Amino acid sequence: MPIKKKKEKKFTLIRKRVPYLFIMPWIIGYLAFTLGPLAFSLVMSLFDWPIAGEAKFIGIDNFTKMFTADPQFYNSLLITFKFALIFVPLNLGVALILALLITQPIKGMKFFRTIFYLPAVVSGVAVSIIWGWMFNTEYGVFNYLLSFLGLEEPSWLIDPKWAIVAIVIASAWGVGTMMLIFYTDIKSIPHDMYEAAAIDGAGVIRQFISITIPSITPTILFNVITSVIAALQQLTLVLLLTGGGPLKSTYFYGLFVYNNAFKHHELGYASANAWFMFIIIMLFTLMIFKSSSAWVFYEAEVKKEKKEKREKKKKSEVKNNEDFQKA
Amino acid sequence: MKFSKGYVFLVFTLVLAMLLSACSSSESSDGKNEDGKVTLRFATWDVGEDVELQEKLIDQFNAENTDINVVLEAYGGDYDTKITAGIGAKDAPDVMYMWNYPQYKDALEPLDPYIEERDKEYKENFYEALWNYNSINEDVYGLPVGYTTHVVYYNKDLFDKAGLAYPKAGWTWDEFQEASKKLTNKGDKTTGFAFPGKPDPYDFEMYLWGNGASYVDDKGNLDGSLNSPESIETFDMFYNMLKEEVAITSESWGDTEMKSGKVGMIINGAWYLSAFEEAGINYGVVEIPSFGDKPSASIVSSSGVAMSKDSEHKEEAFRFMEFWTGEQANKERLSFELPVLKSVVESEKLEEDPTKKVFYSMLEQSKEYTPTSFITEDWSQLSENLELTFEQMFNPSTRVEPKKAIKTVVE
Repeated sequence: MPIKKKKEKKFTLIRKRVPYLFIMPWIIGYLAFTLGPLAFSLVMSLFDWPIAGEAKFIGIDNFTKMFTADPQFYNSLLITFKFALIFVPLNLGVALILALLITQPIKGMKFFRTIFYLPAVVSGVAVSIIWGWMFNTEYGVFNYLLSFLGLEEPSWLIDPKWAIVAIVIASAWGVGTMMLIFYTDIKSIPHDMYEAAAIDGAGVIRQFISITIPSITPTILFNVITSVIAALQQLTLVLLLTGGGPLKSTYFYGLFVYNNAFKHHELGYASANAWFMFIIIMLFTLMIFKSSSAWVFYEAEVKKEKKEKREKKKKSEVKNNEDFQKA
Repeated sequence: MKFSKGYVFLVFTLVLAMLLSACSSSESSDGKNEDGKVTLRFATWDVGEDVELQEKLIDQFNAENTDINVVLEAYGGDYDTKITAGIGAKDAPDVMYMWNYPQYKDALEPLDPYIEERDKEYKENFYEALWNYNSINEDVYGLPVGYTTHVVYYNKDLFDKAGLAYPKAGWTWDEFQEASKKLTNKGDKTTGFAFPGKPDPYDFEMYLWGNGASYVDDKGNLDGSLNSPESIETFDMFYNMLKEEVAITSESWGDTEMKSGKVGMIINGAWYLSAFEEAGINYGVVEIPSFGDKPSASIVSSSGVAMSKDSEHKEEAFRFMEFWTGEQANKERLSFELPVLKSVVESEKLEEDPTKKVFYSMLEQSKEYTPTSFITEDWSQLSENLELTFEQMFNPSTRVEPKKAIKTVVE
């Protein structure tokens, strides 16, 4: 029946195009507001690009300036790495502990689950302002509480030693999202594994090390990568909480780029800075991915391996059988 | 699937067309709306109630000028970033609030030709000092709207308690330090004077001016100015007050400390007048102390309105700016802005207001000074360096002697 066939053909044509039409707004948005500016900033990085006035092509001068003539570049990079080094393990640890806590079958856990996640919903600007109040040396709630304990009352945002600690604490506040990802993964570990382990005499800690940790390594990998990226791109908090101070001790790389663009109005230079950070993040991500084969454990892979083994065994059995029969 | 392919395409074309048309303006090629009106975009940094007041003023202007429609864009706290982005994208508002002329001058329209078309009295009605802050090298880039000079706010109750007479115009820094000492009371945890631990270099220069110094000479050289004996003496004075514990540094501008009644004096602009009143502080204002031989000086925190170089309706834009800085608008803004027109100050008898007159006398005695940001080529960089130096001097965890700290900037 040729008529029906034609109709069918038309139908599949629509079916193929319609989905694309539906995601078209997103695609247009992505091209216009993400990919386009991204490519444009790469072009800008080769120019001396002031806010007002003519842009001048200067080749890789922005990059050479960064490496040879700007000590602030190295300082900012160093501060950011230092921050990432403290922030990433701390955040992972806290998220994991919280996730373990909220998987416990205790009454009212839903309530805690909500309040642990709540901070992740609050906007970064509001968070910065609130922390600014809490860290204040004169009237901040932190030093008020510390004074009861008779502990040292640090001048959080004035003392360069403490400012970076303050930033770490404030950023660790948004740990909720990571906690939630851990939580869903831990929840999906089959319960019989723990039961079997318990019967074999494994304690809670042993179960955690031998069952929980290996089962969630893919999630750990994901969280490590995202938090490394977040740490290296930290901007909101330092912009609003410390402004890079005191004494430039929290002059993060993100702030360095921001200031070059919007304070010193050197858009080309800032673009070059941003692209350098892009390369660094890419290298880090690659390194973490490369290392993952050594410690990340995918259940699916194991299953596949087992299946392959089984099939091999079967084959060889069949072969053996055949051989046997032949003989 | 009931709908046809053609139908789907139609819907999406419509959606796309709507999206795209939202991006472009509805103006036709000659820059006029269908009803023959010229649309002017006007950007303000004010927030809250002030914006409402401004909206009312704009409505008034729009009603009086049938050929112009001014649209207010309130950018609030992110003002600079948004203006910068607008200028960069050649999409700056036609008229915008402005103070940092050196940074934006390349994107602004010089206004002298427009001003010259007016009477001679037009320009003279503005306080002379304000033109300095709205122009660069004799070229005017903005019309003054409001300003504030900086003055000493003092807590009368604390002065009474310490048995001190209230300070009077023409007092000296020696008297100021003496008062600080007497106001400081360890038992009550009160201190004589609070100033920002990270002062804005733009603001701080006024103290140097009062001592006959400044950051740079008229050619923009730091050496010989920033490290002159007078400059060092000024820095040393602040440094020593901290050392002797008759002053503290604040994480903000000292206003919080003042509001809590724990601090006797702070120095700042007119921004806190109503805030301190609301906080129930029994305060007075007085001129900044002098170094003895000549009157003290104040930096002017000015606000002006400037015109974008790329504006397509410059004549109309200037008409609006004229209205915005005119007598009527000045009077309407009395509640939150110090008027910039001599005629308004006179008619409103502000010279007799015990608080407001202080700001005007500070303005009068500060007119010969030009801030370094208007002289030097790269203020944003210098300002960042100075900020770090100030922190080194005043931050309790470093407290570097001014002479040493200054040395690194000059080199």
